[in-house]
Amino acid sequence: MRPLTLRRLFLQCSILVLILFVVVVIAVKFGAVPVSLYALGRDLWHVLLGQRADLSSDYVLIIKNIRLPRILLGIIVGASLSVAGTSFQALLRNPLADPYVLGVSMGASLGSILALIAEPHLSISPALASLLTPLGAFLGAGATIAAVYFLGRREGQIDSATLLLGGVIISSFLSAIIMFLMNTLSGNLRGLSFWLMGDLSTPLQKSAYWFLGIGFLLAAGAIYTTAADLNLLLSGEKEAMHLGVDVPRVRLVVYIAASLLTGLAVSVSGAIGYVGLIVPHAIRFIFGSDHRTLLPTAALGGAIALVFADTLARTIVAPTEVSVGAVTALVGAPLFIYLLRRRLS
Amino acid sequence: MSAGSAHARHLAEAGRLANEIRLSVEQVSYAYSANPAQAPLFTLEATSLQARPGEIVAILGPNASGKSTLLHLISGALAPLSGRVLLNGFVTQSLTPRTRAQRIAVVQQESALLFPARAWEFVLQGRHSHRRSLRFESEDDVLIAKNALAQVGAADLSDRWMNQISGGEKQRVILARALAQQPLLLLLDEPTLHLDIAAQIGLLDALRRLAAENRYTVVVVTHELNLAAEYADQVVLMQRGRCLRVGPPASIYQRELLEQVFQTPLSVELGSSGRPRVTVLSGT
Amino acid sequence: MKEFARLRPRSAVSAATVALLSCAALTCAQSAPPVSSASPAFREVTDEVGRTVRVPQPVRRIVSLAPSLTETVYALGLQDRLVGDTDYCDYPADARKKTKVGGAINPSLEQIVALHPDLVLATKGLNRLETVHSLDGLGISSYATDPHTVEEIITSSKKLSDVLGVPEAGASVAGEMQRRLADLQQRVGSLAAKRVLFVVWTQPLISVGKDTFIADALRHAGAVSIVDSEQGWPQVSLEEVARLQPEFLVFADSHSDSAFPAVEMLATLPGWSILDAVSNRRFAVISDAVNRPAPRIVTAIEDLAKQLHPDAFVEKPENGKEKMEKENPPPDQPPSWHYSSSPDALQDRLTTPGGRACAH
Repeated sequence: MRPLTLRRLFLQCSILVLILFVVVVIAVKFGAVPVSLYALGRDLWHVLLGQRADLSSDYVLIIKNIRLPRILLGIIVGASLSVAGTSFQALLRNPLADPYVLGVSMGASLGSILALIAEPHLSISPALASLLTPLGAFLGAGATIAAVYFLGRREGQIDSATLLLGGVIISSFLSAIIMFLMNTLSGNLRGLSFWLMGDLSTPLQKSAYWFLGIGFLLAAGAIYTTAADLNLLLSGEKEAMHLGVDVPRVRLVVYIAASLLTGLAVSVSGAIGYVGLIVPHAIRFIFGSDHRTLLPTAALGGAIALVFADTLARTIVAPTEVSVGAVTALVGAPLFIYLLRRRLS
Repeated sequence: MSAGSAHARHLAEAGRLANEIRLSVEQVSYAYSANPAQAPLFTLEATSLQARPGEIVAILGPNASGKSTLLHLISGALAPLSGRVLLNGFVTQSLTPRTRAQRIAVVQQESALLFPARAWEFVLQGRHSHRRSLRFESEDDVLIAKNALAQVGAADLSDRWMNQISGGEKQRVILARALAQQPLLLLLDEPTLHLDIAAQIGLLDALRRLAAENRYTVVVVTHELNLAAEYADQVVLMQRGRCLRVGPPASIYQRELLEQVFQTPLSVELGSSGRPRVTVLSGT
Repeated sequence: MKEFARLRPRSAVSAATVALLSCAALTCAQSAPPVSSASPAFREVTDEVGRTVRVPQPVRRIVSLAPSLTETVYALGLQDRLVGDTDYCDYPADARKKTKVGGAINPSLEQIVALHPDLVLATKGLNRLETVHSLDGLGISSYATDPHTVEEIITSSKKLSDVLGVPEAGASVAGEMQRRLADLQQRVGSLAAKRVLFVVWTQPLISVGKDTFIADALRHAGAVSIVDSEQGWPQVSLEEVARLQPEFLVFADSHSDSAFPAVEMLATLPGWSILDAVSNRRFAVISDAVNRPAPRIVTAIEDLAKQLHPDAFVEKPENGKEKMEKENPPPDQPPSWHYSSSPDALQDRLTTPGGRACAH
């Protein structure tokens, strides 16, 4: 008998933080423009010693202002999608659930687009206007997961196959609406490829990163308080209730928080798929299904996966960039099929 | 707080009320209808019963007699249409799920696990209601879980994977999880359904022993006439949503009554243990 | 053991606080804007989308994010200052040798930065607003054009030449373009405009909207697009086209020589034969310069005008020599096909006064 301890959680997270650091270093090094890690390290050292005010101007622009923000965005978005995927898998008791498969990412995309369409017509301050897109994304995500949940209910129980089917249908329906809007309306709506396949390449305002980071911590933290409940929910809602879980409250908290995570991620980077699906499974395989460790380790795993995928996307055919959603789909979809077959056999 | 003292607290609370009514079901009724505009599909008419610590109550009846509904009303999973359920004087419906789980444990027939788990992990789930959120399991929790497994004779199954043990062994582990909740009330819904005869006897023997040792109040839903007769201190006889009679087996097991309820010719004798025994007669 | 276990959460919290504080410190350090080592002289101009642009003086290093802007830079004689362009910048041939920064929609910011440009050129019809904003955030100035008519292309090139510090070259290019357009106007301005369908893509059938410079270019060539749409690249149905029955179908191809068999094949596509223009083989093929708002578009306009209104380009018969030539066309005539060969050859032939491009 080896129950979970804080020490084990700490150990697991440390390993993943180390791997994340390595991946970040790789992401800093590789790109359209070659970077010498030695020169970078030397400059950093001089900065620390106070011998220089800052890095050489080339590195300041390329690394500090382009690559690092992109890496940071990849970390936050990857962690958000991964935690959202883990939560949906627990709530819906389906290992194949994730924001993209369930259509929640599309809902968030559509919500963002509608917010962008409405923005010029609303007379609000610019500060509020910048919040409009994440808000639209959050509402879109929440509405979609509610629709999928009700579609998947039969006689009070959640039916896996119906759930997935409902998600796929809703996803294609929503992307059709998005394409229709893109075709008929003009304006600063960003590209179709951005919303449907994701894109981490646009640097954001400094305040946006703080907003994202704090939003992630709050939402992921809220989900983490229900981690032990989620463990029990895997046995079924009735059983969980008999064991002391306040199922309606947990459902509400997790749905809202996971929708918030998805909304935040999609509003800044479009719909990136398969991160929320594959990463929790990989982490479960290595570290086990206890959500008290799964949630933080999945977050770190998602960060690692997305930063790595984005680095691939911008280096494979440099200087042209492949969209990061294409890379995650190329790797994720075959893995998804493999999981599906293993589950059905 | 050590395992011993928590248990002692329970015993003391139980002992204070030993031989006083622990479970009181007062005129609970329920109606279920798929379409609210139409008449209810199924109704449980007002039913009452009382149980003491250490007692085994069997809810007996044929299919669709409302046995499971009554059990779910007692467990708090369903809210009664009228009437109330009291546990040591507290209305169970007004308790939070967490508090309720500290006092009432429900043993299902099966447990579907999404991801593989070991038996000890499974049993530890029973400690959830006693643990504050964001805390990991303490040594006390581990001890209680170990004890629970030992009490059902499944200590050797501790490290086995849940999806690799037999039905009977799984049933014992599920029972151990319920015991780990350290409840006052133990509810079981048709626990013998998928078990062979030896496992059935083993389970009911264990229940009788546990009820006596730990002063649980046990309520078992079953349609097995002889098992109920052998092990129950009280029998609640149900038919089509109505409680016909409550009492010790000797007073319930009347041939005409049972034949009417179960719609089949029977004969009732006195068994060697002093309890009634029912034999089903083949049609002539 | 219990005390030790209780210490852990506290040390975890303090570690987290330290991490948060260092992140905060890093962000504060980043907030100082990057100091460029460019010359201190700047000029503030307003570009064609209304942005105020600080243009370094002089502009020594240019990156172009659109093929049309690359062509304009070459037309202004500034090709030596062009340090980077997109994968699609292929005219003139020398442009292919420049350092590539990726596509027009999603160029590599890193690559642009590494080239240390003084000014980046973009155009609203092709590039994204995010790219321009990102460049602003990195302290790199970018100038955006947005021409919607052929006149605007001319003024845009002139303004650009002014911004880049070569106003004389700009005036010369603009003057040349205006002269040729005026000549064209003289020849075809009074004629009835031919109703045409400009085919951008065949499957699905996509044409151009009325607000585009391509539609305006058609007007200068003595044609009018039958498609009346607010969108830039509207998808039109074959039935609608059949109802309107354009007199000509106009195609733009970068390899005009090889377009002949491709366009011929169009006649065999199902449904297309209901168009008179298809059954009568009334096609006009011009170079894809018409797709680029650059000086070379005038050549494509002239070419189209010649194919649509060949009579306007035939000299009035003055003497018997001309009459004889008309009745007995010289053997080296191009095939009976409303078509010319490569744009450069055409350019040569057109600038020779009195030259004839095609025979009917």
